Amino acid sequence: MFATLAGKALIPVGLAVTGFMVVCCLILYSFIRDDLHRGEIVHASNLADTVLKSTRYAMLKSDRETLATIIRNVGGQKGVDHVRIFNKKGIVTFSANSVEINRQVDKNAEGCIVCHKGTAPVTNLGTMQQSRTFRNPGGMSVMAITAPIYNEPDCSSAACHPPGQKVLGTLDIGLSRAELERSLKLLRIQMIIFTFMTLILTIGGVTALLRRNVFLPVQRLRNYVESSALKDDLPEPPPHLPHDLDIIATGYYNVKTNFADKKPDTEISVNDFNKKN
Amino acid sequence: MTGLSEHQRSADINESHDGADSLRQELMREINRLNRFSVRGILALSLFLVVCILAWWEFSFLPAPEKVTALLGKPPSAGIISIALLLYTFSAIILSLSRMTAGVEHRSSFSHVAYLTLFFLFYYFGKSLEENYWAVFGSGVTILGVESYRIWTFCAEGITKNREDIEYVNRTGRPPPEE
Repeated sequence: MFATLAGKALIPVGLAVTGFMVVCCLILYSFIRDDLHRGEIVHASNLADTVLKSTRYAMLKSDRETLATIIRNVGGQKGVDHVRIFNKKGIVTFSANSVEINRQVDKNAEGCIVCHKGTAPVTNLGTMQQSRTFRNPGGMSVMAITAPIYNEPDCSSAACHPPGQKVLGTLDIGLSRAELERSLKLLRIQMIIFTFMTLILTIGGVTALLRRNVFLPVQRLRNYVESSALKDDLPEPPPHLPHDLDIIATGYYNVKTNFADKKPDTEISVNDFNKKN
Repeated sequence: MTGLSEHQRSADINESHDGADSLRQELMREINRLNRFSVRGILALSLFLVVCILAWWEFSFLPAPEKVTALLGKPPSAGIISIALLLYTFSAIILSLSRMTAGVEHRSSFSHVAYLTLFFLFYYFGKSLEENYWAVFGSGVTILGVESYRIWTFCAEGITKNREDIEYVNRTGRPPPEE
């Protein structure tokens, strides 16, 4: 296999094309996944902002029932894993899941430790840093974002919160990644099929071209040389050979014809030489 | 006079025998060198696989990325490293195929292992090794696979040619004609 012309032509081409295609697909997949993940974070962040803006009036009016209803309704939406609001002490005050209410949040948990790793908690984080990805107890992949609820002038002027308090609480919203994972799985399958198709096309195309333009003409030339060696009358070179092979075939024909023309003279001269001696 | 010419002829024959012997030895040395050189690509590929195993364990013997980035500064983003990897893979394959076409003997395999290890390290310090591990692995296997094949075919052709030359020297006692 390695010694044949086909092997020598196809192995490096196949290896290089397949390898490069695989690397391209892996890098492209990585780019697409990062883009989708970034888009998902932006989407979750916008949703968190929407929830905060919709609950703002209820918070100002201290309308806990309306606030709880909004949180429950948002949490009941398809694709939303959890929605909860916890106060500065880390106690869940509102949640779509009523079991969580009044529970203490672990400050060392993933998503909390980012702000609470120092003695004083960090109050400003970028959107990307506010996000975390984990698997919920049901085994589903979840992307969650925590949005701080800041103390604003109308909050502190209502005599509910002192003006010195910067963060009043945190909204934690988690979105299911099932749809994203399904899309990524589909993309992986499509890329594998695409790579295989490109590989088959490349190998097939190179093989077909080599066979048509190189291997078959070489085979015809070889048959011509082998058959002419056995025959006394030299046949004409095969027609329609590629230019390079045609030169070889014609050259072979000319050499063989010249040799056949000179052969009797040589034999005579050898006979004469033998007679003389 | 006749004695002198016979002496000269035997001296010529001895000299020619010595020349043929030294040529044969030289060709044998070249065959041995090519035999040793032919496994260079496979050795580089094996070394790369060892680096891949270390990368799979996330270079547990290295300091944490945070410590290194605190010292050296922020690493380039994963996207930039991936573009560099793609360009490097493309260039390395083109270079290797060009060397294969030109029949050039080039000992580049181990330098590729070093470049690929650097890519692994950049991803590690940029905390994106897990996502991009298979891209570097695929790139390494492709580049070193093509390089191994190039080196192996180059050596196989060289060994065949040298064996033919030895046969020619054995048959004629003269050095083979230059191509």
